[in-house]
Amino acid sequence: MENVNTNSMIDAIKNRMGILKDNKIKTIGIIAVVAVIAYMLQERYLSLILCFICINSIAVSGLDILFGYTGQVSFGHAGFYAIGAYTSTLLSMKANVPVILSILLAALLAMIFGTIIAFPASKLVKHFLSLMTIAFGQMVFMFISVTDKLTNGFSGIMNIPNIKVLGYTFTSNQSYFLLFATVTVFVVIGKKRLIDSRIGRALIAVRENPHAAAGMGINVRFYKILAFAVSAFLTGLAGAFYAHLMGFISPDTFTANQSNIFMTMLLFGGIASLVGPVIGSAILVIVTELMQSFVSYQMLIYAFFILAVLFYLPNGVVGIAAKIKAFLVKRRERKVK
Amino acid sequence: MLAQLIIGALMIGSVYGLVGLGYGLIYKASGLMTLAQGDMLMIGAFLGLTFYKNLKMPFIVALLLTMIIMFFLGMFIERILVTKLLAKGAQMVYVILCTISISMVLQNTAMLSWGSNVLQFPSIFNKNTVLVFGMKVVPENLLALGVGLFCMIALHFFMNKSKFGTSMRASAMDEMAASSLGINVPATKGASWGIATMLAGGIGVVVGPIFGVYTSMGAMIGQKAFAGAVVGGYGNMYGAIVGGMFFGFLETFVSAYISSSYKDFISFGVLILVMIIMPKGLFNEEVME
Repeated sequence: MENVNTNSMIDAIKNRMGILKDNKIKTIGIIAVVAVIAYMLQERYLSLILCFICINSIAVSGLDILFGYTGQVSFGHAGFYAIGAYTSTLLSMKANVPVILSILLAALLAMIFGTIIAFPASKLVKHFLSLMTIAFGQMVFMFISVTDKLTNGFSGIMNIPNIKVLGYTFTSNQSYFLLFATVTVFVVIGKKRLIDSRIGRALIAVRENPHAAAGMGINVRFYKILAFAVSAFLTGLAGAFYAHLMGFISPDTFTANQSNIFMTMLLFGGIASLVGPVIGSAILVIVTELMQSFVSYQMLIYAFFILAVLFYLPNGVVGIAAKIKAFLVKRRERKVK
Repeated sequence: MLAQLIIGALMIGSVYGLVGLGYGLIYKASGLMTLAQGDMLMIGAFLGLTFYKNLKMPFIVALLLTMIIMFFLGMFIERILVTKLLAKGAQMVYVILCTISISMVLQNTAMLSWGSNVLQFPSIFNKNTVLVFGMKVVPENLLALGVGLFCMIALHFFMNKSKFGTSMRASAMDEMAASSLGINVPATKGASWGIATMLAGGIGVVVGPIFGVYTSMGAMIGQKAFAGAVVGGYGNMYGAIVGGMFFGFLETFVSAYISSSYKDFISFGVLILVMIIMPKGLFNEEVME
């Protein structure tokens, strides 16, 4: 009797300690991140970097829903990114749609394209799915680079209007960051809610074993298409944000390399995790900015990032963090014993 | 006009077919997909240029030397990178990513060692044009067509008549049965990557004089060749050739009669249509789950 009691007490204490320690690490981490952000917000250029991190986080989170949770690979997300950017730009400049509405419409259009692509793509297996998404990305890229009358070709579109919400116009990078950060937080929370829901469990089941999922009454095709649509929506949203933040877009941003960059960010951060995409995009954006002077080496660095992830960090940065945590917990348990 | 278009289409088609053949070979041998074929073509073109122009070798020596080097490069990639990755239990998607990063490394290496400008490959023949059936044809086009056809036929006989080719087909069919019959399966796998790379590199040397040599020359050719391989039926050698020819003709005639700026757009559109309507390709290869 007593033995059981003490054991359960020790367990309870251990649990509480664990929670406390976890919370402590989390609090310290959040304070540190906020401090860094507060410092970076003082400067225009540094806030621009923060904006990029947010935009990439949104897009990569979208890719994560597709690749990390549903197991559907896409090497054509630059296509959705481009659709978002160009649709919002053209709607707001040529059709005089209010900017916030044009962003939503652009994301919806990307989502529609994602759904259309997903209908055939949901039937294909890995290799052919990759090829199909590559072909899609290339088609979008070709379209925006050769349709001179609409998209101005390689000279790009300049003077894209700023985002306006309720009469307030976002002009400085700092204000943009606050907007994008809010959206990113909403996206991450929304993603968590989605993954924890029935839909999320269905997506994971589809990733783990499509046949077993189908056997359990999950409509595999529907969930694959759903994942494509949500993913395209988020990436299109990020593209629209990018266009309005930069005020200038040209096809150079939306090459196949951009899709590979998204994939690198996702893999480096860690797939199928909430903070992975954010960490991955933060690290890679910062590395890219630090490497500005070696701009010709940029893709080489990305390539080595991918190889490093593939060979040494199969679960990305989040995987390392989890390993360290597991190690610490093990040590703590040994001490208690 | 029409006949010249056809010769141009045959030339570009045989380039696509030969590069696409490599995709099929790799897929059959190891069930994997590479995206680095186009960049192998680019590296081959740069190597050929170096041997031919800078080291003043005869063209045929430059071509053969390039092909040998490319063979070992392909084998190296399979033996050192891909096998190791698979030994770690990586999924197929990660192998694709690995080849994407290889292609980035190759492009950047080429850019750093040869510069990012378009290099002129000196013409191989003294004549500007030759007369074939009363038409003026650029001899380099004929050379590309000839090398393409020669490689295809040689590969056909190698795969069907030689002992090593037969063992390659055997291990592609069933690895365990092949290895129990004493076939060195890893060697056949490495050789199939090597041959695929070799073909891409060789054709790169040949198309160098036609397109000029630059770092991103391979990207588009690689993707078109891939499209051709899919249209023909992925994993089928002959299908890849037919599919490559199909895209060669499609592209040439679209740019001649419809619009040259939309040719790639239309090609990829046709590819997606084929994948939707006829995902098994012309030669009925399995692509669906």
